[in-house]
Amino acid sequence: MIGLMLLGGLFSGAVKAQETASLVADQNPRYMESQAKYIRIADTLNSLHGVTIQNTYKAYDWYEAKLERRRQNRAWRHEERMNGYYDYSPSWGLYGGYSYSPFLNYGWGNRWGGYYGGRWGGRTSIGIGFGW
Amino acid sequence: MKFNRILTVAAIAVSGIFIASCSRQVTRVSTDQTIDVSGNWNNSDARMAADELTGKILGANWIDTHLNEHQGKRPVVIVGFVQNKSHEHIDAETFLTDIESSFIQSQKVRLVQGGKKRDELRAEKADQQTNATVSSMKKFGLENGADYILQGSINSIVDSHKRQKVVYYQVNLELTNIQTNEVVWIGEKKIAKYVKN
Repeated sequence: MIGLMLLGGLFSGAVKAQETASLVADQNPRYMESQAKYIRIADTLNSLHGVTIQNTYKAYDWYEAKLERRRQNRAWRHEERMNGYYDYSPSWGLYGGYSYSPFLNYGWGNRWGGYYGGRWGGRTSIGIGFGW
Repeated sequence: MKFNRILTVAAIAVSGIFIASCSRQVTRVSTDQTIDVSGNWNNSDARMAADELTGKILGANWIDTHLNEHQGKRPVVIVGFVQNKSHEHIDAETFLTDIESSFIQSQKVRLVQGGKKRDELRAEKADQQTNATVSSMKKFGLENGADYILQGSINSIVDSHKRQKVVYYQVNLELTNIQTNEVVWIGEKKIAKYVKN
C-alpha cells in the first residue's frame, strides 16, 4: 500500500516536473486548464472563420412602415374576400354601412346567404338594422 | 376601307408599344458604376469598403514591424468572422475576398484557409491517407499556423422621418496577434447616405 502511494506520488511529481519544464519564459503555469477548455469548443468556434454572422436589427423607417401597413391591409382584405365577407363599407355609408337590403336586415336579424349573390356572408347581426 | 386599314396599322403599332413597354429590359453595366436603386447597401458600398480597407491594411506599419521582429518572415493571416450588426443583410465576403486577394497579389502577407474550407482540406488529406500513393500523400501536422486573425463588424444607424432617411454604415476590421491578443491594426470605412422617397 505504502509502495503504491509512493509510486503515485512519484508519477504525479514527474508529470508536474515535465509540465514545468515545458514552460517557456513567463508562460502561465496553469495554461493547460485554458487549453483543455478551448480544445473542446475549438471546432464550433473555428467553423465561423470567414463567415458573416447576421445579427441584424429592424430599423424603424416611416415610409417602409407605411408601405408595410398597406401591404398588410391588402392581404387582410384579400383574406376577408376569400372567407366570403364583402361588406367593408363604412358604417356611416348611404346604405347603413352593412347591407343595402332592407329586406334582409329586417326581421330575421341575419345577413348571410346566397340570395343576393354573396355581397354578405357568414356574419350574424343582432337586432334591427337601418338599412335604408 | 382605307379608314379600316389605318385603324389596323394603328392598333398594331399601339399594341407593339404596349408589349415593348411591359417587357423587362436588362442591360449590362460596369461593376465600377454606381447605381443606387433602393438606397440599401449595394455593390458600390462593398467596393468602396474593399478599396479603402485594402489600401489601409497594406499601407499600415504592422507588416514592417512583423518583418523586423521575425527576421524577414512574412506574416500569416487567417480571416475570422465578421459580425453584421446593421439593419440590413450584408455579406462581408463581398469585400473580404478583395482584401484577401490583395494580400496574395502584393506578396506582403501570407494567407491560410479557415472555417469550412479548412475542414474540407483536412477531409481531403484524410482521404489521401488511404487512397493516394505514398509519394503523393499529404501529411497531417504540417499546416502553417496563422500569426494574425482578421475580424470585423458592420454597424449602422438609421434616422428617418416621413419620406427622408439618413443611413450611416460603419465597417470595422481588426487585425489581432493570435499569440499575444495584441490588436496591431484597426481599419474602418464609414458610408453615409441620404435617401428621399
